[in-house]
Amino acid sequence: MTDQLIQNESEPVNSGFSRRSFMAGSAGAVLAFTLESSMPDSVAQAAGAATKIGGNLTINADNTVTVAFGGAEMGQGIMTGLAQCVAEELMVNWTQVKTESAPWAQSYITGGSFGVRANFLAMRTAGAQARDMLIAAAATSMGVAPSSCSASAGVISNTVNSQTRTYASVAAAAALLTPPASPALTPKANWRIIGTRANRTDIRGKVDGSAIFGLDVQVPGMVYAAVRHSPAIGGTLAATPKLPAGATHVINLGNAVAVVAANSWIPLDYCAIGISSTSSTWRDGIKWTAPAGAAAMTSAAILTTANTLMASGTPGTPLPENIGTAAATYTAAPKKFEGTYQVPFLPHVMMEVPNCTVSLSANSAEVWVPTQAAGWVAATVSSLTGIPAANVTVHITLLGGGFGRKIEQDFVAEAVKVAKVVGKPVKLFWPRDEDFSHDQYRPFGLIRVRLGMNASGTPTSFQARNVSVSPLFQRGWIGATGNDNVDGLVGTPYNIPNKLVEFVRHPSTIPVGFWRSVGESMNCFAVESAIDEAALVAGQDPVAFRRALLAGKTRELAVLNSAASMIGWDAGAPTGHAYGIALATGFGSLACLAVEVSQPVAGSLTIHRACMAVDPGMAVNPTQVEAQMQGGIIQGLTSSLWGKTTFTNGKASTSNFNNVRLMKMSEAPVIQVQIIESGAEFLGGIGEVAVPPVAPALANAYARLNGTRVRTLPFF
Amino acid sequence: MTVMTINVNGVARTVDVDPATPLLWVLRDVLGLTGTKYGCGIEICNACNVWIDGSAEKACHLLMKDVLTVKIVTVEGLATNGVLSKIQQAFIDEQTPQCGYCQSGVLMRAAKLVSGNAKPTDAQIDSAIANLCACGTYPRIRAAIKRATGQAPVK
Ligand code: FES
Ligand code: FES
Repeated sequence: MTDQLIQNESEPVNSGFSRRSFMAGSAGAVLAFTLESSMPDSVAQAAGAATKIGGNLTINADNTVTVAFGGAEMGQGIMTGLAQCVAEELMVNWTQVKTESAPWAQSYITGGSFGVRANFLAMRTAGAQARDMLIAAAATSMGVAPSSCSASAGVISNTVNSQTRTYASVAAAAALLTPPASPALTPKANWRIIGTRANRTDIRGKVDGSAIFGLDVQVPGMVYAAVRHSPAIGGTLAATPKLPAGATHVINLGNAVAVVAANSWIPLDYCAIGISSTSSTWRDGIKWTAPAGAAAMTSAAILTTANTLMASGTPGTPLPENIGTAAATYTAAPKKFEGTYQVPFLPHVMMEVPNCTVSLSANSAEVWVPTQAAGWVAATVSSLTGIPAANVTVHITLLGGGFGRKIEQDFVAEAVKVAKVVGKPVKLFWPRDEDFSHDQYRPFGLIRVRLGMNASGTPTSFQARNVSVSPLFQRGWIGATGNDNVDGLVGTPYNIPNKLVEFVRHPSTIPVGFWRSVGESMNCFAVESAIDEAALVAGQDPVAFRRALLAGKTRELAVLNSAASMIGWDAGAPTGHAYGIALATGFGSLACLAVEVSQPVAGSLTIHRACMAVDPGMAVNPTQVEAQMQGGIIQGLTSSLWGKTTFTNGKASTSNFNNVRLMKMSEAPVIQVQIIESGAEFLGGIGEVAVPPVAPALANAYARLNGTRVRTLPFF
Repeated sequence: MTVMTINVNGVARTVDVDPATPLLWVLRDVLGLTGTKYGCGIEICNACNVWIDGSAEKACHLLMKDVLTVKIVTVEGLATNGVLSKIQQAFIDEQTPQCGYCQSGVLMRAAKLVSGNAKPTDAQIDSAIANLCACGTYPRIRAAIKRATGQAPVK
């Protein structure tokens, strides 16, 4: 057959195809479409970056279809979820569908749980347009009217004669047609694939060892590089070290040294030596020049500054939320609660370390990288080499975890710099201890919550002040008085008439970034802990207290009641055990988590059960919703119990899994997930919302267990 | 550099490397068997697990010179002629992997467990699967092991 490519060359729109043109392709008939995407609300606003993205739909010669997206697959099932939407309308069976990554020009920032939710309608429209074009081409071929045709499993039949056409046989002709502007979409009642437990398309390679993560990339002539950064963040190499035995290059990157060799082991062995805590020298006498202001990069000093800012700092403008007269109401309130909560710098802890493979030639570049931001990778390469971004090919590999860390460009830039020196394709990777000691951490912060209540204990005012280090400010996306880190404080679902939310930026230069659920990861802990503490002041049951504050909020009440009923709230916990509950709203979804804990020995905590009620709007793939809840709960437990990085003169406390603890199989609770679809054809994000309620649910359970309120994370 | 021969997935493979190189990097960089992963390099995470004469071991700390006379099996060797083993299929059926990075190591231990234990208990699963998984796939690992051994879905 003749291979055809229909390529969208117009300004992208957010609903499938627009104009078309023809190009010879090699992979069957290819239909290109465009999608809307977005970063987390707060980030997108600051960066002005609601990127248009796209994908390709290829009808293969064997009558299978390949759907390519410019998103990052980190195990959240984004490829599968989006392809389910296309396949639904395209009238193919799920077994006929394959997925792959699209080039960076069609890519976007994978974050904010937007992957599937931003693109639900666009993907369906693209599938429906392709279906109608294929049907039109088949109708012509069979000599019948399109209205007499229907498609099933990639085969078009008609009611007039006995002829049929496969998609593959008419794809080339279909590619010559103009996409219909508003194709009919399949009504929900007839969905065959959306909403089903379709198997993910990326799983097979993950059980037979064939899946290619960034660290697995091998290209001809490639050499390997590892890096060691200044133990103190921001320090620099005092001198370029001598060439290590077996290495081909030792490269001074300023704040780091890179070692290059014919295999991974030589550079890793050289770079992964534990950081000496007592000296500024390191293996082979490498000397580092301490960064200016290192003393300020010490956790105790950072906390002192935070306390001062909490007491007397100037909030960013405009106020993120200011409804009614919260401060005055609080002052006059007959009952009140105030609590200040502390959250630590938190490493991302993804199992695959940062890495990037770069091949440079005179005026083009090829990059293989596990990235959440392929467009930024192209920009990074271009700015460091002068190669036009259009000549940069970015292959998005599978990501061995991202959690927000793999948006960053630090490791990409290092790979490019080393490739420039070496003149060969280079795979640069960070030893594990470099990852944990040079992360762009979830911000440290203090969050103070004040709740004023009337005489009967009903909250009348809610005030929250977040003092924390700002990822947006560090990136230059907001000014010195801008706001950040207030997701989860603004727009709390509780019916409280007076609300005031403030952000005070902490000036610490410890690098911070975006961590799964961003601001919610800090603020939900504060708000949902405070609600329980206020309930105690009011003398009310925490669930009843929340119910009263959620009157009329159907979705919120549904998840609250579901989680409470799953755990058996009304019956009460068994002797020696306690229940805790917390509600998170964000990313368009709602998640209420109830946990059961006990403390068999001091200094530990056993989490017996975790019951999650989640309302994602509509679940495109219930299995993946459940998986994201399970994974988010376990990550939330890990970080609540043990997660933190502290600093001494800029040197991180975390280096490897000997001082970063992950929850293990034997420690994981039994997890029960109840999906509540609130009915509308509306998609909330599911990748992040499970994390925020974990810490407060745990703290609330802990307080009910032994009367001790944990206001500082982690627990241990 | 020394020319040495090792037995990987039933095939004799000849490599020319420093005998003190950890097996992990020979498998990955020299033999292209990248299913075996680097996670910590310090024998904690179990991402690098392979079988050495049938027992699950950490390839990040096994030196080449010490594996010259043993039979090495990697995740790529779990399937037979492209047909997945029962435990691999169970991982698909339970949709166990998320990012998937830790799963090779998990599978090596899970496959070992089910090969020697027809009905592993929860406690036995807990102690056998010592792997670290940042994505939190533990419930689905447990379910897959139960499925592969014909036991009722767990908990
Ligand atoms: S890489 Fe070997 S145990 Fe972690
Ligand atoms: S599946 Fe991602 S680390 Fe286990």
